[in-house]
Parts: sequence; structure tokens; C-alpha cells
Amino acid sequence: MKSMIFKKTDLFQFDIKSRKPFWRFVIQRITIALLAIAGIAASMDASALPLFARQTGQNCQACHAGGKFPELTPYGRMFKLTGYTLGKRLLLPIAATMSFASTSVPAAGGGGTNTLNDGTPSFDKASLFVGGKLTDSIGMMAQYTFNNYSGDNHQEGRMYSNNADIRYANHIINDQTDLILGLDFNNNPGFEDVWNSSGVYGYGVVPGAVGTGSALLPMLLSQQLGQSVVGAGAYAYWNKTLYVDLAAYRTGDGVFSFLTHNYNGQQTYVQGANPYMRVALTHDWGSSNAMIGYTFLDANVFESGAQIPGGGFFGNVGGPVDEHRDNMVDFQYQYISDPNVVTVEMEDANEQVFYGNGGLSDSMNAFQAKASYTYDAHYGTALSYFNTSNTANNVANAYAAQSDLGSEGWTPEIFFMPVRNVRIGLQYTLFGKFNGTTAAASQNDTTFLYAWTAF
Amino acid sequence: MKKTILLVALGIVTLATGCSTLKSNTESIRDLNDPSVSGRTLAEQVCAICHGAGGNSTNPIFPRLAGQQPMYLTEQLKEFRSHTRSDIMGYKYMWGLARNLTDKQISELAQYYKGQTPIPGQTSDMALVAEGDKIFHQGVPANNVPACASCHGPNGYGHDGFPRIASQQQDYILKQLSVFKHTTDRNAGMGAMMSPVAYNLTGDEARAVSAYLTTRP
Repeated sequence: MKSMIFKKTDLFQFDIKSRKPFWRFVIQRITIALLAIAGIAASMDASALPLFARQTGQNCQACHAGGKFPELTPYGRMFKLTGYTLGKRLLLPIAATMSFASTSVPAAGGGGTNTLNDGTPSFDKASLFVGGKLTDSIGMMAQYTFNNYSGDNHQEGRMYSNNADIRYANHIINDQTDLILGLDFNNNPGFEDVWNSSGVYGYGVVPGAVGTGSALLPMLLSQQLGQSVVGAGAYAYWNKTLYVDLAAYRTGDGVFSFLTHNYNGQQTYVQGANPYMRVALTHDWGSSNAMIGYTFLDANVFESGAQIPGGGFFGNVGGPVDEHRDNMVDFQYQYISDPNVVTVEMEDANEQVFYGNGGLSDSMNAFQAKASYTYDAHYGTALSYFNTSNTANNVANAYAAQSDLGSEGWTPEIFFMPVRNVRIGLQYTLFGKFNGTTAAASQNDTTFLYAWTAF
Repeated sequence: MKKTILLVALGIVTLATGCSTLKSNTESIRDLNDPSVSGRTLAEQVCAICHGAGGNSTNPIFPRLAGQQPMYLTEQLKEFRSHTRSDIMGYKYMWGLARNLTDKQISELAQYYKGQTPIPGQTSDMALVAEGDKIFHQGVPANNVPACASCHGPNGYGHDGFPRIASQQQDYILKQLSVFKHTTDRNAGMGAMMSPVAYNLTGDEARAVSAYLTTRP
């Protein structure tokens, strides 16, 4: 029986198999393999470019800070806020991404990513993207993913619905006002946002990256509701200063079920409409831009799926409902020049869980910060820090937080983009605390080498 | 909290209602492959995202276009469209945007920016500005650098195919002087004239003249 309440992040799966690492040799071998893959991908660059780059005719760098996915530039944010409608409509609006990775962890069964943990190079994930400009006011982006190590034993590949976003935008400009008004429909709370603070295209987003390890995270960061719910909302961005977004999410069943074929075959069910709110203040000056914001999510989640005849846990019409109340404050600073680009982001999130069957409550806290630097859109480095903790009051409930899975640590990374649609990176995650304890936490330190490409 | 959300929802509805009476200068269209879209609409809905409202950019990697000479701007857009201007930032950002522009749209864009009022930049290094003033008006005779004013006009406003360089972003001028000095990426048209000028300009002189120009109204 799987936990329906605290789904571990999409990027995190335990492996059943772990061998003693001899990772130096392995990393050498993998580097050669990844470089070969990058070379092949690079040769495709001239004629094959990602979806939005084809639509606008621009370099990835126009929308992504220093050309590094996922961090958006002010222009990239405007592209998304105006409904992906800038550019020309494509006849074949599709693109794909692929990632290859190798993960190495000393501890048996430790660490945890979507790859084997013994350094074996593997094909990690592939996504197909469909979308772009549909009309002058409407655009979309939808992703369908194959995860090579998804599934119960983490050895079977699975295909599943991934993020989807369709939006309408009106951009009103006159001598006094610059106002974007938009409507948005998506299947992952936070996907509508443009500052890379939520779990969607946020911290540790490279497929297979360790992120915060096995920590329990507030829903805004864990994406527990991702591909389980659908939501509609409205947003306004006034004079490039004040951004407000309000949405409500419900279970993505029935007619929406094509958006919620989840990566692990499960779906989290929520009760009624669940509010999401986002406010951000932004300012641009010279080469810099900054944002300070606040996000709120209040989700009433059924503790378990109602059992249907024939087994399985699909659908829910009753049972205890737990309220998950998230509050997050986030900050971002960006410096964009040629050739230096810096993005610094911080998120401080808290979730209170009020259990529906006994009056108990739990809380979890997550602080994440990441600084990325790219030079000439080719070379880069990043340093990330995470510190998470959770209480474990409701030990009697099979679906609740039964232990402290808090983690703390650092992830330095170096990466190289030989061409604009290929990135090769090496991350090393050092755990100061793992599963709530500092004892032997370093046994979970993880080396992660990846090659990512979009075409 | 739910009360707060209701209040915010009410706020958004009020805002949206209020906005229905807000008049926009242009249609909310960002289609770069529709010849019927006016240059002004493109300028406000697309170009302004980087080049700023009215062509006064915030980030110095993007040039200020306000008050720019129409003939110069027309030539640059056509060079982006034909890929004959190939400086790195130019092709990364502009080739795609310009690829389907019609001559009419280019002409309208050029006229639109000519009609905008440039906002000069600021710098605190007045000694550098004074040095730049001298180079701009007198050149550097010892190194065969002619006065910028001889082509760009006594106020740096340019004329015909010679661009306005007064009020331009300091970093942008520096970058372009480097492009002219070290590459032939902008030598397809009148830009070829700048290569020998920039070739003899030292880094310090380029910094001085760009600091001076950015402060000129």
C-alpha cells in the first residue's frame, strides 16, 4: 500500500538495488558516453530546436537565464504571461526533451533518484511537448513523459501525463498602464507561475537530480497534487510591478482524467475546490530584476482512495479529509548581461496538516536556495542549499507523517552547454542531515552526472 | 485566510471590470507572421518587452530605440531579416523576430520609434564623461580616430543612415564598438564604416565616449 498523503517528489524514488560503488571508474566511462550523446544531439542543433524557440525564432537564452533551463528571464516570463502567443504559429508544434544520468551513492539503498544508485549510466526520462501559439490570445504547453525508472519496483518504464497549461491573455498598453490580464487552466498548482519558485520547474528540476532527498515537502514544493488535480484561475500583472494570481483546484477525474494519468499510477483526490493564491512584487533596474512574493495553497485531501470492486485505490467519495495549508515566501534576484548571468532564488515554505480523523496536526518546513551563474551561455555553476524538517505527531495514521524525514545539505553543480539545446552537468549533494538524523548522513552524499537535451 | 482569498477574488473581479473600460493603444496581438499587424502594435506588444516602453530600455544589453533615425533602423531590421547583421546578441534575439516582418511593418516600426522621446542614462563619473565629450567632438587625432560628431552630428542625433547615439545605453555602445573592432559581423551595410574607427579606439576611450553619449539628452 502506498502513501497517498506525502508523495515523495517526482524526482525521488528509492532503488531496490545498490552495489558497492567504484564510481571513479564509472564516472569516467559515463563521461565518455555522455559526451558522445551530446555530440549526436549537437549535430541535430541546426535543424532541430525546441518548440518555443521555433515559434519565436530566438535563442533559448532570450527566455531562459543564460540559456539554462528552467530559470526564466523577464522576457521569458512575459512570453508565458502573454499566453505563449508571441511569434508565429507552427504547423507542427511539438518538441522533445531527453535526459541521461548516472547516480552514485555510498549507502545501500540510500540517496535516491530515478536512476540506479550504483553509477550505472542510464536513460532517465523523455518528454514530448505539444503547444505554443494557438490564437492571438490563447496558447498552451503540455508535456507527456516516459520515465525509465518509474513504477513500483523502479525498474519498469512508464508513460504518464505530465504538466499541462493552457492560457488566455490580454495585454493592455497605454500611456499610463501596462496590464496583462490572463486566464489559466493547468494540472499542477504552481505551474501557472513564472518565477521558478514552486516545485514545478523549480529547485532541483533536472530529471533524476537528488533535490532535497527523501524529505517531506509542503505541497507547493512536492508537487503532490501535480497530475492529480486540475485548476482554473485568473491573473493580473500591473505595470511590471504587481502580480496577482488566484486559482482553484479540483480532482482531475472524469473528462479531465487524460491530464491526470499519474507517474506512479496513483491519484491524490481532493475535496471540492481548493484555493491557490499568489502575489508578487517585481522591479527591474539596469541589468537587474528582483521579485518578492507570497503563495498560499489550501488543499483538502482525502486520506485514502475508496476501494473499488476488483481492488485498486481509484476514486474517492468519502473517508477522512486532511487539510494541507501551505504558506510560502519567495525571493528572486537576477542579473542579466552579456556574458554574465546570475539567478539567485530562495523559497521558505511551511505546511500545516490538520488531520480529519482525530484532531491531530503536523507541520513541515522547507527552506531552499539556489544561485546559478552562467558565462556566455556555455559554462555555468550553481550552488543549492536545502533545509527541511517535519513533525511526526500522527504516528497512528498509516497515511500521515510517521517519522521525521527532514534533511539538510548542499548541492554544488558545474555544467556545460556545448550548444544551446544540450547541457551536461555534474552535481554533488552533501547531506548534513538525512531522514531526520545527522548520524551517518554523509553516507547518502550523492554524485549525479547528467546529460539533458531538447530538440 | 479564506476571507482574505475572497477579498482578493473580489479585488480581481473589480479590477477586471474596471479594466474592461481601459483603452489600449494597440490590439493585444503578438503575431510575427501576420502582415496585417501594424508596426505600432508590434512595437508595443513585442519589442517593448526588451526595448522598453517607448523604446527606452531598462537593461543595457538592449539598445534604446527612442528617437532613432528611421533609415538606420530600417536598414538594421532588414539586415536582421536577411541575416547580414550577425553580431551574437543580434542573431540570438533579432533574427527570429525579424524573419517575417514586411517592408511596411519595418517602415512603421522605424517611424514609431522616431516619434518616441529618448530618456538619457546617468553616470557618476564626470571625469570620464568629460573625456568622452572630447573624443566625441575632436576624435583622437594621434590614433587617426575621427570625431564621432563628424558623422553622427554635433549632438549625436545622427541623420539618414547614421544612427542616433545620444542617450544610448552605455554598455550597448561599448559592445557594438567591440563588435566593429573585432569582427565583421556588422559590415554588410553602412556599419563597415565603423570598423576602421573602432579599430583604433582603445578600451578606455570607448568607455569614455560611451559614458558621455549615454548622458546626452
